[in-house]
Amino acid sequence: MTPREPAAAQAATTPDNANKTDKTNTSETSENQVLRDPLRAVRPPDYRRHHFLAIAAFVVLVALIAPQAATSRSSQFLVNLWLVYSIAALGFYLVFGLAGRFAFCQTFMMAFGGYTSAWITRGEDGQPFWVGAAAAMLVTALVAGVVGALVRKAQHFYFAIATFAVTQVGMVVFQRADGFTGPHGQAVGIDPPQLFGYEFVKDGQVFWLFLGTLGLCLLLTACIERSPMRREALAARDNGLVAGLSGVAVQRVQLVLFMLGSALGGLAGSLIGHWQGVIGTESFHIDLAIGIFLMLLLGGITSMWGPLIGAAVFVGLPRVLSGIEEYSSIVYGLMLLAVVLLLPNGIAEAVRRFADRVVPDRLMRKGVPFARS
Amino acid sequence: MDKFIALTAGGIALGAVLALVALGFLVLYKATGVINFAHGDLITLGAYIGVWTVADLGLPTIPGYVLTIVLMGLIGVLIERVAHAPLRKRPAMVVVIATLAAAIVIRGFISVWQGATPRALDSPVGGGVLRVGGANIAYQRILILIVGAIAVIALLMVFQRTAFGRQVRALAADPETAQLMGVRTKYVAMAAFALSAMLAGLAGLLVAPLGAVELNFGFGLMITAFAAAVLGGFGSLGGVVAGAMVIGIVQQLVGGYVLPEYAATYPAIVLFIVIALRPQGLFDLARSRL
Repeated sequence: MTPREPAAAQAATTPDNANKTDKTNTSETSENQVLRDPLRAVRPPDYRRHHFLAIAAFVVLVALIAPQAATSRSSQFLVNLWLVYSIAALGFYLVFGLAGRFAFCQTFMMAFGGYTSAWITRGEDGQPFWVGAAAAMLVTALVAGVVGALVRKAQHFYFAIATFAVTQVGMVVFQRADGFTGPHGQAVGIDPPQLFGYEFVKDGQVFWLFLGTLGLCLLLTACIERSPMRREALAARDNGLVAGLSGVAVQRVQLVLFMLGSALGGLAGSLIGHWQGVIGTESFHIDLAIGIFLMLLLGGITSMWGPLIGAAVFVGLPRVLSGIEEYSSIVYGLMLLAVVLLLPNGIAEAVRRFADRVVPDRLMRKGVPFARS
Repeated sequence: MDKFIALTAGGIALGAVLALVALGFLVLYKATGVINFAHGDLITLGAYIGVWTVADLGLPTIPGYVLTIVLMGLIGVLIERVAHAPLRKRPAMVVVIATLAAAIVIRGFISVWQGATPRALDSPVGGGVLRVGGANIAYQRILILIVGAIAVIALLMVFQRTAFGRQVRALAADPETAQLMGVRTKYVAMAAFALSAMLAGLAGLLVAPLGAVELNFGFGLMITAFAAAVLGGFGSLGGVVAGAMVIGIVQQLVGGYVLPEYAATYPAIVLFIVIALRPQGLFDLARSRL
């Protein structure tokens, strides 16, 4: 429908003119809303989703709830792990969810980021933490750029296998290259993160750093979600040929998203390294590679909140199953199967569908986080 | 020279195993269009079931191995029923994710059943070696080569001469037309899953005596075999066998002489180069289902 002039809209809705405008009054309610707020009809649907409000609400909620709820050391650890895995999974969302690139190298990027950051901050004359983290992002983005450019034409499984090959080579190299990583690929004695003279040592302190970083990453993702890039990436993902013919730079969009997502992976790796003080290849094993994939699929591939939900499930599930921990991977597998069978687009999409059904349509428009556009 | 002979023999044996693994997921891919990410874990499972039947149950080698392969076939059918049949109308990616889920379940099952300590499977032909010009070649490697060659030839015969083979080839060429011609997709899919799992089990049984059986045992083999399949052109069975031989010999020979500590990465590097140069594989994936 075409937006009308505001003046005409006002005239149409004033009671004085009711007798003249019988036809407009009997029109649909949605049109009435448009008449009252013409801007709403013009704004692209993504702008009605209140990303920034939702992110602010999320950060405030986590900041209020998590320190109260997580009092023991182990639960603080799990909360931090959730936040940092969320960053990595958010990066993977950009790569796989938006760009549709089946990249199997997010754990490699995490490890590489961790090692880079550890190497740069090492020793007496080492650089401060933020330089290390920035370097981790830069280096992983560059590696992703090179890899992505080399296999830019590979599709689906070929891309997955090529990036898996990168991971496999990288992990062996990390174990051998003692000068860069450490003996047997173990970088030890990494300084705790330090910002503006404040040192984050305990889990309870690191929590604030991680929450802030995740908030920034969410803002970045929201900017992408609201930019034409999302639209172009989805078009390129769903039908590259048509998208290319319509003027979308398919390979460039996919490459940029791959680099951005990998940089988030590198950032997560750097945070893990500085938080734990040690970093080794075994923490980025095939299990975590499958795990990140799981987080995105369980949480939902169609929403930026999916990876956060998925990471929470991934981190929280072993705790829920504390008595029968050895069965946890069976439970993951069965859950994944159930999700694929019953909720094809993950938990976030299911929540959104449920909300659509329960919450009245008008409320949805007012910025419930999962509101459908 | 001795080293060269030993490495070549090792390479050929590795190539034979890779050919079995690659043919295993290729059969499935041709019949159903599914790339099975659980194949590596099926190899691991086959090796563990072999350890269980031979070492734990104390069966003699041949019945133990036969039992293992029969069990693997049943597991293949089970995977088809649970992770493939309900998803037949869904996009290919969903089915791939379901196979990944199956892989995770198999992994979890093995770790619950056998624990984390690696197991060993004794070679059915003993630990002896054949001396060729000063090089020692383990009997197990010779067994691998013989069994692998028999299995590959049998498989090629099945594909060329039997009704099942014809149906699989028809499905690979054109699924819709094949169904219209009366190919019963359901049974072909079940048979293909069973055959694929049996080949995985056989590969697991053959490789297990060369090293320790542990949880990630099959995953690396699967990836290397994928490299072989891509190298050989994803379509033709003969090409895949050739690709497997090339990858096996490259890994052993190049790895034996140049930077041996990086030998594990060579298949991955070959794979990456092939994909970078021929992004659709050596043959077009869409057209190569025959």
